[in-house]
Amino acid sequence: MTRLEIIVLVVALVLAVAWLLSYTAARLDRLHGKVEGALSALDASLVRRAEATLELANAGLLDPASSLILADAAAASLEHTNARGGEDLLDGQTFAGREPVESDLTHALALALTPEVVAVLGREAGDGPLQRVSDAGVRVQMARRFHNDAVTDAVRVRRKPIVRAFRLAGHARMPATVEFDDELPAALRR
Amino acid sequence: MRIGIVCPYSFDVPGGVQFHVRDLAEHFLAQGHHVEVLTPADEDTPLPAYVTSSGRAMPVRYNGSVARLTFGPVTAAKVSRWLERGRFDVLHLHEPVTPSVSVLALWACDDVPIVATFHTSNLRSRAMQAAYPLLRPSLEKISGRIAVSEDARRTVTTHLGGDAVVIPNGVNTANFAAAQADSRFTGTSDRPTLAFLGRIDEPRKGLPVLAAAMPTVLAARPGTRLLVAGPGDQRSAHARMAPEVAAATEFLGAVSDAEKAALLASADLYVAPHTGGESFGIVLVEAMAAGAPVLASNLAAFVRVLDGGRAGATFVNEDVGDLARQVGALLDDPARRADLTEAGRSRAAVFDWSVVARDVMAVYETVAHAGVPESERFLRRRGERGR
Repeated sequence: MTRLEIIVLVVALVLAVAWLLSYTAARLDRLHGKVEGALSALDASLVRRAEATLELANAGLLDPASSLILADAAAASLEHTNARGGEDLLDGQTFAGREPVESDLTHALALALTPEVVAVLGREAGDGPLQRVSDAGVRVQMARRFHNDAVTDAVRVRRKPIVRAFRLAGHARMPATVEFDDELPAALRR
Repeated sequence: MRIGIVCPYSFDVPGGVQFHVRDLAEHFLAQGHHVEVLTPADEDTPLPAYVTSSGRAMPVRYNGSVARLTFGPVTAAKVSRWLERGRFDVLHLHEPVTPSVSVLALWACDDVPIVATFHTSNLRSRAMQAAYPLLRPSLEKISGRIAVSEDARRTVTTHLGGDAVVIPNGVNTANFAAAQADSRFTGTSDRPTLAFLGRIDEPRKGLPVLAAAMPTVLAARPGTRLLVAGPGDQRSAHARMAPEVAAATEFLGAVSDAEKAALLASADLYVAPHTGGESFGIVLVEAMAAGAPVLASNLAAFVRVLDGGRAGATFVNEDVGDLARQVGALLDDPARRADLTEAGRSRAAVFDWSVVARDVMAVYETVAHAGVPESERFLRRRGERGR
């Protein structure tokens, strides 16, 4: 092999590695961005569910005890959202331990919206506030699933040896799936 | 909302995915959304205004059967142009791993949130596995995955990892609910009618199982009529049946949608003896909507559509004795059939397009909110400048 050939070979190799690195970095960046977007959608769907619950609690359709339980759980959820506020604690990549609060709201809804209550509400008030709670609940399920899919994709790429060896993820935190109970009350399930 | 839908299978031929895409598009159009569909179709096929053809589909042997697909550089360029012109808020791909326009659109699209619907329950294919490293990065672009059934969802989970939300196929239940009984198909107490729908020479649709159960049914009720609606070779189907069964069977051939609805609205019992390969069971929903009491094999997909057996009776799959017993019991019990009709009608409402489309729209809104990450737009801008 002549010197020129060796140089050409080395340059080609360096270019190939550079391309692979930049391609992988761009891919990873896209995946982080996707997680961020999905988390923001999940956040929005949770706010929407809490607001719909609050609206139902204040509509005077339920007995006062159920209303209070719902209002309390919904307010706790909204408080946590607001607490997060401006300081983006997490680089948009994690959920800040809000899981128990959201599970609580799910359980409060299941307790308050028994089949009997739903049957009565359905008759008296049409589908308005109840329908909104149910729609919001479905969206929470979707948003959480899509978020966790995005996390799974991102984590898989981050575990690649090339990503770890060259620290392509920089300081971005490893994204984590969000796990809480988001089952709809049985009476609202289809 | 500006919605772009991509259907990988040719609109020239009827099929579950094509009907799904058409009904979904028309539902959103009626709601005032802007919808465009991209699909293969022959040049002389009359297409609705919202459909763009990606070119003529070629029959290709892929994954064990012949599919009509479009591909190649010309098609890829057409797909890119359609995406550019459409300026969609969300792109909805059907069967994104089928080598046709869906995968081309997945490849080409990088500035619109993508929703993908998986219809089949057997995703595993040689090509899929061989080309997995190639496909993986583009599959990562999908922001929202939909599976049409639990079985389809399980397939997605196993082969692609991650999860999918289940949104069933939609049915225009009103068309079936409005169907009037037709005296040709209506049974009497001496001559009850059983309805069967499906290709008669496709064993998976289960006609042989039903034919084998018929002698027992006829022994108890000699007047029973079996009405078979569906394309296929009638003469050989006739020849395969026992003589008394052949005499009790009437072949209707391929029927129109209206005739199908009338048949279901009239029959004393609709029997679905499918032996496998069903990932959803849209025909059960149609039967329930039309008011036919349903007796179906206990395939997992069917049991789910029938709400765990509450909205219809089931028998052990391929068990001729159990099928005969259940048919007999149901024919003897008009009250139970009336209960099943009622339960079926309310169950069918869950699969109505109004409900299904609302869930699909919720997916669109969720991924549109999540949007395309800033970094992606940046990369794209950089790419455009570089070009």
